[in-house]
Amino acid sequence: MGSNGAGKTTLVKHINGLIRPNNGRVILDGTDTKYMSVAEIARVVGLVWQNPDHQLFLDSIKKEVTFGLKNIGFSDADANDMCNRTLVRLGLEGFAERSPFSLSGGERKRVALASVLATEPRVLALDEPTIGQDAKQKKKLIELLKELNTRGCTVICITHDIEFVIENFPRTIAMADGKIIADGSTHSVLTNDVVLERCSLTEPELTIAARSLNKRFSQVSNRLTLLSELEDAITELLGGI
Amino acid sequence: MLLLNCLEGYNISFLEVFQYTRQESVIHQLDPRSKLALSITVAAITLLFLNIIPLLIIFLCMIPLLAAAKSLRRWATSMKGLSFLLVFIVIFNTLLSTVENPLSFSIALAIRLLALMSSFSIFFLTVHPDELSQALIQMKVKFEFAFAMSMAMRYVPTLAQEAYAIMDAQRARGVEMDKGNLLKRIRNIVPIIVPLIIVSIRRALSIAESMESRGFGASENRTYMEQLTFRKRDWAVLFVSVILLIVTIYLRFFTILPDWVLWGLPL
Repeated sequence: MGSNGAGKTTLVKHINGLIRPNNGRVILDGTDTKYMSVAEIARVVGLVWQNPDHQLFLDSIKKEVTFGLKNIGFSDADANDMCNRTLVRLGLEGFAERSPFSLSGGERKRVALASVLATEPRVLALDEPTIGQDAKQKKKLIELLKELNTRGCTVICITHDIEFVIENFPRTIAMADGKIIADGSTHSVLTNDVVLERCSLTEPELTIAARSLNKRFSQVSNRLTLLSELEDAITELLGGI
Repeated sequence: MLLLNCLEGYNISFLEVFQYTRQESVIHQLDPRSKLALSITVAAITLLFLNIIPLLIIFLCMIPLLAAAKSLRRWATSMKGLSFLLVFIVIFNTLLSTVENPLSFSIALAIRLLALMSSFSIFFLTVHPDELSQALIQMKVKFEFAFAMSMAMRYVPTLAQEAYAIMDAQRARGVEMDKGNLLKRIRNIVPIIVPLIIVSIRRALSIAESMESRGFGASENRTYMEQLTFRKRDWAVLFVSVILLIVTIYLRFFTILPDWVLWGLPL
């Protein structure tokens, strides 16, 4: 997370070699990416961009998804298979023959996601995936990301949506002015006032609630972030278990 | 072909020479109309010749003008970006041309391109897009056209940025832009061009909508806050330009040019 222009996208572009570091190294699975081309890295790292219009160019969604697969060396049959699987997972199965340009913004965003997901990357980086998605799609997205994560995929997500992060991501890296200013558990990073201020984030709503409680009842921690934690604190105050 | 080169070398930097830069200079203060006359004159003279010496003279005359506009450095970097294209022009023309001394001819062509670019860069580097549209309006061009023109200029750098973003996006999907034979490279441009066109059309539509919602074209007769006025030095530039043009046309078509002007490499 970080304010506008903090360097989040720039950092992510380093992961897949679109930008090469002037100093330091980017190591992917023990290999320095200096020795890999972007196309080689693309087999391991999938990047979903903020603007889906920057990558969609074919006349059907199916072609769009298989395009990336063929690029990184899958056979036609495999690509077809993987494409169908991904479309089902993203709720796009009825859209396979539609043109990406006839879809709404949110749907196009999902097509772009599908085209990257289909390659089954080991590392998945998403730039602002929640923009333009309704609550239901957001929930679907997070379920998908969690499933990928349990299967061993590293999920990196750039976002300004603080509640989305708090509920779903265990680790947060905060950036400001091109530097990483905090890196740790989401819980501790996002309740730190200095971090919130420098990243121009508003405090999580439940932390605000916890802080007001804290003013009156000092035994309630002012750094709670989750609903369950707050519930526990309130039950305790009321003399429950 | 030009586009192909830009995309392959990821080098659109030479177009920067057509982008306005804010400076305080004698050239910047001139009326855009007199600068337009100057640029067109120089361009016209350039097109009258196809020999190394006269083209080189014109080209060298541009340098003090660019220096006066305090834009020499910017111009130099842009010309460096153009060098690849120039080498390309020289090699291909030398190999394919049917004229008598192909190398000499191609070098002349390359210098001609440099001189042409420089002459127009003097105009575009020093004329603010607003000034340009105002100048057009005062030259009796309809407001809508003048506005469209300045909009187009305004969106050149945006388009370039967009092209870079699209190239990044496609490379991340495994499109290898700098590999393969010529045919494959040309085919690799499709994933760049199609999104670029679509994004541009989408943006054009949304700009049109936002302009209409802000009342574009609501009143028939527009008035303008700033009017351009011709001063003495503008008349001087205009006068010199016209004289130069007439003299060169006379020399070129109605006199016999001396040998040193027609000199060329014996290749």
